[in-house]
Amino acid sequence: MEMKKFILKRGIEIVIIFFVILTTLFLLFHMAPGDPISRMIDPTMNPEDAQQLISELGLDQPVWTQYLYYLKNFFTGHFGVSFHYGRPVLEIIGKRLPNTIILFTSSIILSALVGIFMGKIAAWHKGKKTDTFMTVGALVLHTLFLPWLALIFIWVFAYKVGWFPLTGIISAEVWTNPNAGFLLKTLDVLHHMALPLFTLFVIHFGSYLLIMRSSMLETLREDYILTARAKGLEEKTVRNHHAAPNAALPVITSIGLSLAFSISGGAITETVFTWPGIGRELVFSVSNSDYPLAQASFLLIALIVLLSNLVVDVLYAYVDPRIRY
Amino acid sequence: MSEAIAKISTRKKTPATSYRTERLKENWHVFRESLLGKLGLILLSIFALMALCSFIPPLIDPMYNPMSGVDPLVSHSVGPSFRHWLGTDFIGRDIFSQLLGGARIAFMVGISAAFMSIFIGTIIGMVAGYAGKTVDSLLMRFADMIMVMPTLLVVLILSSLFGQLNIWTIVLLIALFRWPGVSRVIRAQTLSLKQRPFIDAARVAGASHFRIIFKHITPNVLPLALLYMTFRVTSAIIIEAALAFLGFGDPGTVSWGMMLQWVWKTGNMFQAPYWLLPPGICISLITLSFYMLGRAMDEVLDPRLRSVKQMR
Repeated sequence: MEMKKFILKRGIEIVIIFFVILTTLFLLFHMAPGDPISRMIDPTMNPEDAQQLISELGLDQPVWTQYLYYLKNFFTGHFGVSFHYGRPVLEIIGKRLPNTIILFTSSIILSALVGIFMGKIAAWHKGKKTDTFMTVGALVLHTLFLPWLALIFIWVFAYKVGWFPLTGIISAEVWTNPNAGFLLKTLDVLHHMALPLFTLFVIHFGSYLLIMRSSMLETLREDYILTARAKGLEEKTVRNHHAAPNAALPVITSIGLSLAFSISGGAITETVFTWPGIGRELVFSVSNSDYPLAQASFLLIALIVLLSNLVVDVLYAYVDPRIRY
Repeated sequence: MSEAIAKISTRKKTPATSYRTERLKENWHVFRESLLGKLGLILLSIFALMALCSFIPPLIDPMYNPMSGVDPLVSHSVGPSFRHWLGTDFIGRDIFSQLLGGARIAFMVGISAAFMSIFIGTIIGMVAGYAGKTVDSLLMRFADMIMVMPTLLVVLILSSLFGQLNIWTIVLLIALFRWPGVSRVIRAQTLSLKQRPFIDAARVAGASHFRIIFKHITPNVLPLALLYMTFRVTSAIIIEAALAFLGFGDPGTVSWGMMLQWVWKTGNMFQAPYWLLPPGICISLITLSFYMLGRAMDEVLDPRLRSVKQMR
């Protein structure tokens, strides 16, 4: 019951935040120098089509009505037509969305799990070589410059050694081959995903490791750990069942706080590896002044961040009952 | 250093200042004991030296100007030589002098953006914590809202609307979007300070809210704000570099991110490691050194983090 209330409260907050973002973006599009219409309608489009699109998007109405049209269009998926592709934005974004979600979620889950595991080990061996090695390693990896690391990985693993493909998400020869089954196609995508995923993993897991380590050290000082030891429980049980689950809570919080940062990193990674996701589409459309596509990609990314924040909150409330009350 | 502090303490003999210098001495001692802090400071001094030296190469020969200087003998990227210590880029500009200039930009962007965001964050945090109630929850909801926005992508979409942003606009935007984290921490600190007797004493003595916030609370939250400043410096440097890397930097500046964009976009990244490696290493190292500095300051502020050796 309490859980439902909590989710509802957070859900309402997120709806409000998204509404504010929507409105701000609308205002910015109208305040920016130049003609607002030229930002939604491709200047090279033939006049009849342009006229039809203008009335469809409500751009010939007063600003107030335009805003209502804008909201309606957002919720019904009418984002306009991309200047660059000449096709509806929704269609393009629909194709890109799954790719981004796959890369984004798998990178966060993988780096959090490994970070928690290694942070636990590091804290357990505090002051020993294992700890020093892991902490220093995490510190250094965590501060590497993401785009540079991506370039280095491409240079070493894709260009020099040739283990992984240079760019893209699929290879044409596998996907045009009629004999290739589902398994082969999946393997092909995974093969393309390996390097971008590894890049994001290397950048992110270090901070989770450091947070888990310090939180674990704090937890180990708690009385209930002493109790568990006094009961004669095995050290391994104390570590894995008494200390680690509690120590992992701040890591979950930090996942929520770093989501915005992670999605920026995701956009850079997608761009460098030409992974066809929303982030790359945003960067690409901004450089091409493809406003409808840029606007829709941005809103969708904001929505992804907000929804994953909700997921993290719910997860947190689920593992830590104190939050719900 | 300790002599200098001793001098100061003999000059001003009020009990408060001598207590402060005592604490400063002790803190400096803890800081010096921290390996991370030392390493961070050494690295940062090297970068500061690079930034200072960035004025020298263009004075030697105009072709060493990082932005406009072109070696007339070079038409494409060439490797390191005596004439060009780190080689040249695709139109014959010297990479070493670009690297030095990049250090200057990194410090400029990092410190000014961090200073501004700490300034905004500290004030908002103090006001929210001190005022409480509606003001507090309004300000904090606003902070939450900005916190979930990916700063890099926000700046990106703004640059699509308003055209090429210059470096100071980028700095300002970074500052405007990076204060919420700071304000949360400062707010929490203010909430606990508010319960202390000296605030009550000030209020009874008739101090205005303004005076209490800026005269009594500010000095107590400043160390924490300073600590967060080191972390904000790194994030500002990274955001500017990433923006420049994606091609949305200030075209009038040579930053490390810009250098990486050039090596990437001109297709030289597989042929020119002398061009690809240095800017990335510099960005990563400057981030690391500010981060290490922050961790060491954290040890100064939070005694629980100190190792046994430093406790003695």
